[in-house]
Amino acid sequence: MDQHSSTLMQGRPAFSSPMLKAAVLALLFILLLSAPAMLNAGLLFWVGMTMIQAVFALSWNLLFGFTGLASFGHAGFYAIGAYFTGAALRYDFPLPFLGILALAGIFGALVALAIGVVALKRLTGIFLAVLTVALTEAMAKIIGFSPALGEQDGLGNIPRPIVGFGVFNLDLTHSNDYYRFLLVAVALMVAALWWVVHSRIGRSFRAVREDAERARFIGINVTRVRVLSFMISGGTAALAGALSAPWTRIVTLDQVNWLASTQPILNSLLGGFTSFWGPVVGAAVYTAINYWTRTFAGLSEMLVGGILVLVILIAPTGIVGLLGKLTRRIRKNGDRT
Amino acid sequence: MSSQAIFVLFNGLASGMAFFLVAAGLTWVFGILKILNLAHGAFFMLGAYIAFTVGGGWPASIWSFLGVALIAAAAIGVLGYLTDQLVLKRLRDVDYHYALIATFGLMLFCEGAAKFIWGTDYQAVMPPPEVDRAVVVGGSYISVYTLFVIGIGVSVFAALEIIMHRTWAGKIMRAVSNDPWMAGTLGINVPMVLMVSVIASFALAGFAGGILVPNQALSPHVGASFVLYAFMAVVIGGLGSIRGTFLACILLGLVESANATFLSQYGGIAIYVVLAIFLVWKPTGLFPAQGAT
Repeated sequence: MDQHSSTLMQGRPAFSSPMLKAAVLALLFILLLSAPAMLNAGLLFWVGMTMIQAVFALSWNLLFGFTGLASFGHAGFYAIGAYFTGAALRYDFPLPFLGILALAGIFGALVALAIGVVALKRLTGIFLAVLTVALTEAMAKIIGFSPALGEQDGLGNIPRPIVGFGVFNLDLTHSNDYYRFLLVAVALMVAALWWVVHSRIGRSFRAVREDAERARFIGINVTRVRVLSFMISGGTAALAGALSAPWTRIVTLDQVNWLASTQPILNSLLGGFTSFWGPVVGAAVYTAINYWTRTFAGLSEMLVGGILVLVILIAPTGIVGLLGKLTRRIRKNGDRT
Repeated sequence: MSSQAIFVLFNGLASGMAFFLVAAGLTWVFGILKILNLAHGAFFMLGAYIAFTVGGGWPASIWSFLGVALIAAAAIGVLGYLTDQLVLKRLRDVDYHYALIATFGLMLFCEGAAKFIWGTDYQAVMPPPEVDRAVVVGGSYISVYTLFVIGIGVSVFAALEIIMHRTWAGKIMRAVSNDPWMAGTLGINVPMVLMVSVIASFALAGFAGGILVPNQALSPHVGASFVLYAFMAVVIGGLGSIRGTFLACILLGLVESANATFLSQYGGIAIYVVLAIFLVWKPTGLFPAQGAT
């Protein structure tokens, strides 16, 4: 697909695709930054959740779209971050907020490392899918038995943090302030993931996805690459969860079950897993569907499920892939005339 | 044996057979189509709702109860035919990831439809009067419904075993499962066999819904918990192997039941430990099937 677009790009003015993309992203960032002034608190909450879901979906897609591994228990990583951060803020751990976030990410990556070392050498495909589901369910059970983590009721009353930068303090207790912090954090994480995908590491991920055997021949340690991808993905998912805890101010078991694990899958597939930005588009579209159908029980599931089946059957590259096809067709017609 | 051990044994066998009723269709379709149907639990749930709608909450007798379960089986079988024509047929030759995600979309669609039609409130169905009592076995009270579920599970297993290993139809099924291309050159109507398998698998899910509905609070999510155990059993048993699935279901049922009785403060955890051990110890299951990835 990349090849295809690059051949098309030849001979076209330099300001087209990358510049356009940058402009769209800058515009989006400014729009999101000014969202607190334009939207009411309820809508702002949805926007914040969409940003978190977008990062969560990107983390899943790093694994699936770029390394060719499917985790069906990704909510486990998200929950590690969310519960850790929630507990740290609620019980006032003597740690700066940024330190808590970093630790949450590291925990996620370490758990991924442990699973990866035990399982990734032996298991791929459906077996890995079932193992990840089972581990997430087991974690949900353990949380359900832990009084400190709120058992079945969830961990509520999570305070929003005050971030100390040594010289000055950033007070995030107001939701508008936390929103801005969230936006910057999400933007940084997306940028980091973009860098990973487009770096040398990202190339080795794709080599393993395309053909593990050949990648091995040219000297790539396939298991190590898979574990590394799993770690980055798990750490990012945990960070997304960590950022979500002060935003929602409650962490519940609904975020740990296997249906929660399918959220990033849905978003990635809906938006298109072959593109880096697909999961972000998917998260936005999914939120919009959910928002407009929120008063009809069952309608959003029917819509999302139906769309998902149609996407697989008709346009497996998702919305972004469909748009790409469309623009290519338009351009082709333009060239002819 | 102490009465507690007997209690654990019977409850475990009943849960195991309940898992098996759901898992049998799952492993069958996997064996033939190589598709792990994530929507299987949703069709089980629809079967339970259809049984509830047709038979009501108070079945008059065990015969009407069984009749209602068969109606649910037929209805879900018809849905299976439609699903096969509209969706599964187009997934035959695609990467298994796509198939997993498409059937997941199907599951969401079915759950949404159930919420839309029946609402999100919990419903209850009583066991039929003949089995709605307890008997004393070895000093322990065992519900007759438990024995009934065990009996149904074993009968379904026996029927599948006979069909698969003692009949002409079963031989054709196994041939298609092993090598569809070769089976086709030998004059077997492969698309027909695939379609019949899907319909039978869905009908089994519907039947299981009708039989097991008295055990649960009926809600659109009732399939999700069952199908998870069914997946685990299918994976432990070896994808596509009905015998392996049967044994794995008994094992998981017993583990779950012992866990609930002896370690009730940590109920429901042991089953995942067992799964993790099995996956690492025997990554392809007890009876590895050919073609399982």
